[in-house]
Amino acid sequence: MIERNARQTLEFLYLLARMELKARYKGRLLGYLTAVGLTFGVAFVFWIAFKVIMNLDMPNYSVFLVAGIFPWAWFNLSVVSATRSFVAHAPLVKEMGFAHAILPLSNVVQEMLHFLLSLPLVLAWIVFPGDSPPSVHWIWQIPLLVGLQLAFVYPLALGAALANAYLRDIEYWIGVFFVLLFFATPMVYPISRVPAPLADWFELNPVHALMECWRASLIEGRFDAPHAAYAAAFAAVCGVLVYALYRRFAPRVGEVV
Amino acid sequence: MTAALECRGVWKSYASRRIGLKTLLLGQRAARTSRYARRWALQDVSFEVSRGQAFGVLGANGMGKTTLLSVLLGIVQPERGSVSLRGRVASLLELGAGFHPELSGRDNLFLYGSILGMRRREVAERLRAIVEFSELGDAVEEPLRTYSAGMITRLGFSLMAHAPADVFLIDEVLAVGDARFQEKCRAHLLEFKRRNGTLVIVSHDMEALAALCDEGIRLDMGQVADAGRIGELIGRYQTQ
Repeated sequence: MIERNARQTLEFLYLLARMELKARYKGRLLGYLTAVGLTFGVAFVFWIAFKVIMNLDMPNYSVFLVAGIFPWAWFNLSVVSATRSFVAHAPLVKEMGFAHAILPLSNVVQEMLHFLLSLPLVLAWIVFPGDSPPSVHWIWQIPLLVGLQLAFVYPLALGAALANAYLRDIEYWIGVFFVLLFFATPMVYPISRVPAPLADWFELNPVHALMECWRASLIEGRFDAPHAAYAAAFAAVCGVLVYALYRRFAPRVGEVV
Repeated sequence: MTAALECRGVWKSYASRRIGLKTLLLGQRAARTSRYARRWALQDVSFEVSRGQAFGVLGANGMGKTTLLSVLLGIVQPERGSVSLRGRVASLLELGAGFHPELSGRDNLFLYGSILGMRRREVAERLRAIVEFSELGDAVEEPLRTYSAGMITRLGFSLMAHAPADVFLIDEVLAVGDARFQEKCRAHLLEFKRRNGTLVIVSHDMEALAALCDEGIRLDMGQVADAGRIGELIGRYQTQ
């Protein structure tokens, strides 16, 4: 086995994430703006669909959309790309000796870096209309929520990668699952628009808790402690569960991918 | 002489078949049998390679050679037996594994170097020598997707050749690239051996094996069918 200490592992993770971003942005400002613009583009499509066509009566709808859709994109794209990470890097997993857990982590970190790089434009978008002034609390809330989301997403990404190595068609189902989750979080309408019995179920969704934390902080500068605690508890339970599964199933990943 | 690598009574079975959710829910159909189908990928494989020796592994396709290298590298765990490997190991098992097509040759050297366990600083220090060895010149600044298979081989081999390793595990990659570069690689491996480096090479290229290796084994259906000095081993294999 190629030996690797913690420092080398971190360096490998950094290189993987940096190189992936470099490939995505093609090392240029235009590439960065295009990548950020794509997420704004998605928000714009939903704005057309819900605000213009469906005539959703909600003030500052575009701010609501943008404040949620960027953290969602980090969550969604990380887990979806991580699902394929063992299979897509099969030669690497099979033949290079290093901890497989780095691969899905690099997916999560890449999307996190993309989110952080997008953040100045997101904050500008939220502040510009004038209804949501910049908050001094962002200084501690944003790093805390980034940490929370990292702890929340990584176990899911690792679990999905592991599951897909053994049950190959998970990568096809995960897309469908995320569409369902997108509307069940909900991302494009407030939970107040969801009919009563269903809304109680939506409240149980830990992703909803996480996204509510982001919206509360970015739009109102408020720390949503109950939702943050719920999301953190979910992340902890998931972390323990996935760690146990990883210990049990990781040694044979190289043989099944 | 000290053994750099010892493989003692290694048994390895095949992993369970890949299944999907549908198979899991609806049950599994019986696997078709082929002439390669067997319970054990490796059966009681034992050998030892001394420091400064090159060891060849030969055999027809599907006989367990690549599985053996994966076991030696520690990626695949044997059910029985053990492997002990002393020193830093570098492997070149499949070219292009770990390379990113959108990144330049230079960026890929850093990425692949990290996969081989090298620090960024180590790659940076050796970068000039690596590029010179590869003879790729300015092409290292171009994205890898513009490279031919031969150019990727040059990049991969040049990096591995400059990795600080005591043991090299190589699987059939010497067959790619032009004859002159192949010759250069061979000369480099012989020099590595002379400096007390250890090599394990899987190849169908008998000429390369004869030129590089001292001893070897032949695998047949996962078992050691023959072992000995490489010249005699190849002779018996070819007259089979």
